[in-house]
Amino acid sequence: MGPLLETKLHVPRRHRGLVARPRLLERLDRGTEAALTLVSAPAGFGKTTVLTDWLTSVAAGQRSVAWLSLDQRDNDPAVFWTYLVAALRTAAPEVGAGALALLQSPRASTEAVLATLVNDLSALPDDVVLVLDDYHVVDAPEVQDGMSFLVEHLPAQVHLVAAGRADPALPLARLRARGDLVELRAADLRFTADEAAAYLTVAMGLALTAEDVATLEQRTEGWIAALQLAALSMQGRDDVPGFIAGFAGDDRYVVDFLVEEVLQRQPGHVRTFLLQTSVLSRLTGPLCDAVTGQDGGKAMLEALDRANLFLVPLDGRRRWYRYHHLFADVLRMRLQDERPDVVCGLHRRATEWYERSGDRAEAVHHALAGGDTARAADLVELALPALQKGRQEATMRRWLEALPDEVIRVRPVLSVGYAAALMVSGQVEGVEARLRDAEQWLTATPDRGHDPPAPATEMVVADDAGFHRLPSAISMYRAGQALLSGNVAGTVAHARRALDLAGAEDHLGRGGAAGLLGLAHWSSGDLDTGHRWYADAATSLEKAGHVSDVTGCAIALADIRVGQGRLGEAMTTYERALQLVTPDTGPVLRGAADMHVGIAGVHTEHGDLDAARRHLAASRDLGEHLGLPQNPYRWRVVMARIREAEGDVAAALGLLEEAQRRYVGDYFPEVRPVPALRARVLARHGRWADALAWAQERGLSVDDDPDYLREFEHLTLARALAARSAAEGRARSVSGAVRLLDRLLRAAEEGGRTGSVIDVLVVQAISEQARGDLPAALAALRRALALAEPRGHVRVFTDEGPRVGTLLRAVAAEGAAAGYARRLMAALGNGEDGAPVAEHLVDPLSARELDVLRLLGSDLDGPDIARQLFVSVNTVRTHTKNIYAKLGVTNRRAAVRRGEELDLMPRYRDHPGRAAVSDR
Amino acid sequence: MTSHTTGRSSDSSRYEIRLGGHLEPRWAAWFDGMTLTHADDGSTVLTGSALDQAALHGVLSKVRDLGLPLLAVAQLDP
Repeated sequence: MGPLLETKLHVPRRHRGLVARPRLLERLDRGTEAALTLVSAPAGFGKTTVLTDWLTSVAAGQRSVAWLSLDQRDNDPAVFWTYLVAALRTAAPEVGAGALALLQSPRASTEAVLATLVNDLSALPDDVVLVLDDYHVVDAPEVQDGMSFLVEHLPAQVHLVAAGRADPALPLARLRARGDLVELRAADLRFTADEAAAYLTVAMGLALTAEDVATLEQRTEGWIAALQLAALSMQGRDDVPGFIAGFAGDDRYVVDFLVEEVLQRQPGHVRTFLLQTSVLSRLTGPLCDAVTGQDGGKAMLEALDRANLFLVPLDGRRRWYRYHHLFADVLRMRLQDERPDVVCGLHRRATEWYERSGDRAEAVHHALAGGDTARAADLVELALPALQKGRQEATMRRWLEALPDEVIRVRPVLSVGYAAALMVSGQVEGVEARLRDAEQWLTATPDRGHDPPAPATEMVVADDAGFHRLPSAISMYRAGQALLSGNVAGTVAHARRALDLAGAEDHLGRGGAAGLLGLAHWSSGDLDTGHRWYADAATSLEKAGHVSDVTGCAIALADIRVGQGRLGEAMTTYERALQLVTPDTGPVLRGAADMHVGIAGVHTEHGDLDAARRHLAASRDLGEHLGLPQNPYRWRVVMARIREAEGDVAAALGLLEEAQRRYVGDYFPEVRPVPALRARVLARHGRWADALAWAQERGLSVDDDPDYLREFEHLTLARALAARSAAEGRARSVSGAVRLLDRLLRAAEEGGRTGSVIDVLVVQAISEQARGDLPAALAALRRALALAEPRGHVRVFTDEGPRVGTLLRAVAAEGAAAGYARRLMAALGNGEDGAPVAEHLVDPLSARELDVLRLLGSDLDGPDIARQLFVSVNTVRTHTKNIYAKLGVTNRRAAVRRGEELDLMPRYRDHPGRAAVSDR
Repeated sequence: MTSHTTGRSSDSSRYEIRLGGHLEPRWAAWFDGMTLTHADDGSTVLTGSALDQAALHGVLSKVRDLGLPLLAVAQLDP
């Protein structure tokens, strides 16, 4: 998005002629005890004035103030959150760097952005008040959902004030019920009789009788804007009683009547200026000159400001103003009524001025308002690359939807842009039709200028460079669509075409196409080819200057290496990328945190848990803003493996549940789904019934055909079946699994996936063991050991626990791979011996439930616990119910007592809100 | 009010919007060509044909922005 408009972050200057309103200020003061203050009333009720009055009344240093004046353009989440964070940073410069970084990245969820922001805010030493003025203009559901999340998770030192003409879509009833909402409404804001008298006679200096004041107060019903207009009309008038009588006797819309009175008393050139400039949402001298075709706009604005003619200054330097909304509406209506012929011309000149000054968004707004769709379409087309880069898909959609369809259809660049906007917002429908609209121009006119045979109209192109990229771009979007629908062959065909059509210098296009080819092959289990294409993609993206994408590529490349069983190369890939994003001089780049998590994952598999823990700590120390959106869940997945290796199964399960909640998808195939990881832990620790329930839910069966994307799940199913068979002593029940494993083994060998082959062999070994075929079990294990020894795998064996231990002893006794087997046995022994016996519960508490239980032992009440854990009160309630059920108690005190008996309480004392870490 | 069909698509309808206070007929263009009539009780009635839900909400937000009291909204010939 373009540069931020500072005027939106500026606290409007206090106006003259204010009436002291202590009752309102007191209530606003009370509001800082609550999360949200709502100032909700129609236009002209003095909402902004009472807020600025309140802010200046507060002693300096007591709290910092952030202000944001909203407008229509903020209905785009990318725009809204950027401004909101920028506003907060005017009050607290130390917050929001991470949130802003996340806002720049594709596919970061709003929740991730806000969680980072809330984290920063909760560390603030002093109180901050954030005022959102004109909040009613924000109606985009994505923004409203985000605001609800923010309000629910707001740290105690941050207070939100929302002022607007309609009640916002926030959880008001809930906030009201728990005393977290303070409201100022129309009934509170209206001038009382005393305030009206003070305003008219003292502040405005009008000589009025008590009866006059009463008449005016009744006629306007305390509506402040109307009283202001009435005061303006009376200033300098000889026959004030006559005016009041006329006003009282007229039943016209108050504002209409009064604006007419005010306008009548202005000289002709002032009237004309007011009407002509009413089409502008913001005013500055040169812009007014351009629109009116006259000089002296700046002086005119200053004169209007002095005369208090409903100008609101937008900055402290008297450069930008706007008309009071109500006044502007009446002016605009009059312009439309009196001079409908000039309206388009005024908008055209405003468009030109904004185009010259580089504000494309305002230029588009005026072009659309003036009905100049061709110019608007040109502007939108030229703005597309910047909008796409800035993730302003909502703005893109809004503009494209405002343009008539026939205008878009003759513009291939816009049509493809529309397809892209639809795809990004997950709307597959309509994409292909837009691509075809564009394509018909390309096929009909290989070079521009020739009339296409079919359509009667001419093609229009504003962005020539964009036009030349279209053939490749269209194929690329088709490839992306094919990938989304799981059509690997289609993805490959379209991506290859995109690559063929991309110019040699179009590194971004080439990188994108190569990446899609890599993904397609990886998804189909052909890891070698997938790796090759992905490496190409990384090179092209680096050439295109997208260094930040290199870390994303590294994750893909290393993940593929892990699938191939080439742990050493996976490690090298991560380490190289880490070097690239942590230069000796200059700032650490985004993705560094992810590289540490990747390295930790490889160390874990090698059995070097200390090194893994160090890298996880390093990742956390870098902070969320240096991680990709997927890092929070990936971090937890690796930590869960470490916890399981330590024997803390409850913590591992809790971490995996958290990972599931924080899961953010990317384009990568989900080769190790989190729910399957959780089912594996369950299967290995006696809860094979739960693991089998998961498998049934996933529709998994031992009769399925091998499919790379389900390989990990199938191996998990086989583990659960082996565990059941071992527990029940029923050999027969595992024979289906053995047949499935045979098929999986062949598929993995054919795809060159040695990592998978080792995994399959290990499960084969424990399955054969379960059905009593010891020689077959040992044969499988020997093969696995032979493959794994040079690569240094550890956890794939030791995770299976004592059952594998028995087999390892047998292998070691034979002498084959004896050294390696003994090393694994040692690792297995360490993990077992040192493991704390976490609990004696049949159904252990999750890490989150343990957190809640610990807080139940404190003095905090439900809402406080929710706030501390960044969850809703309902979630805490659910956790509490589960805790009671698992502990077999019915109240809080009994739960805490039982928790102490089970030694669940003290271990969690130092880590509020985080999965527990046991000290050993 | 007499009711008669508009012959427009089924998504659109005729609506009557009653506002507190007198709004002059020249506001008609502001409200996208709706008809303005003054009722005897001092209210103003805006009548518009072929309004779909989005257009109706657009009119209502204009009413809100003028600070006019909204008294009633009725669909005339469903």
